[in-house]
Amino acid sequence: MFTITSLLALFGLSSAFAAVALAFGAWMAWRIVAKAGLPGWLGLIAVLLTLTGIGALVPLIALWIFAFMGWPRDAAAPAMAGAGKAPAGPVGALPAPMAALPDRRTWRLSGNAAGGSVSLAVDGSQPSYRLTGAPAAAPGDLTVSDPSVAAPHARLLIAGARLGLEDLGSVTGTFIDGARLLPEHGPRDISQARTIRLGTVELALSRV
Amino acid sequence: MNSGVGWLLTLGSVALLFIVLGHLLVALLLIIPTWRIFVRAGFSGALSLLHLVPVVGLLVIMAILAFSDWPAGEAPAAKV
Repeated sequence: MFTITSLLALFGLSSAFAAVALAFGAWMAWRIVAKAGLPGWLGLIAVLLTLTGIGALVPLIALWIFAFMGWPRDAAAPAMAGAGKAPAGPVGALPAPMAALPDRRTWRLSGNAAGGSVSLAVDGSQPSYRLTGAPAAAPGDLTVSDPSVAAPHARLLIAGARLGLEDLGSVTGTFIDGARLLPEHGPRDISQARTIRLGTVELALSRV
Repeated sequence: MNSGVGWLLTLGSVALLFIVLGHLLVALLLIIPTWRIFVRAGFSGALSLLHLVPVVGLLVIMAILAFSDWPAGEAPAAKV
């Protein structure tokens, strides 16, 4: 009798946990999908499908599709996409401040690479700069001599007083304050960032 | 008697092995897309290894993605 009661209690507890987990999971799925720019109810439905005879197969497929599909967030993200073409004008979702004072200071990236210390000046004389591990071949090339830096690795974009960074499909990765920047993220504003990392080379960002 | 217990232990070990292998296979099917989601959100992809934790791993992963600010940026909240 005790065993049967214990089993029933266990099943009751499991069912309660499952119900709470399902409701909580549906809510979280809503939030996650919404953060990617998709309608939140899509996430809710994907989780609720586990209640049907379909089981977990369709939500699993939905997870794979969600992971590899284009997100509306990324479509709206290239805030500085036009920076290379029109560096002086307002671009995308980050328009220049209305009463911005001209800031002529130079951006500087400094750190240590395998080939020695690195100190790169980004003075705005070019609309964009290529960060590359190879010797500079063009006026806008900035060399970071290190095996983990691709040729080219990333692009710096000047837009008014702001500095943007775009990964050019590097294998070893580009990071902004530790967060990975993927090519599909497009150019990101790094004006407020402290460090960027190209492969294993960490560069401190400053204005002088 | 001993052979009976040994047989049961062998059977249990084989069953356990299959359960662990099945868990790893299912976890792998979840880890791969979740790794990409974490990286796209700006987190470390290694967080997706929480799928290896049975039962609550998935909930922890969803909680991280749902309730923390994504370092790589989020879509603006929909207007209600």
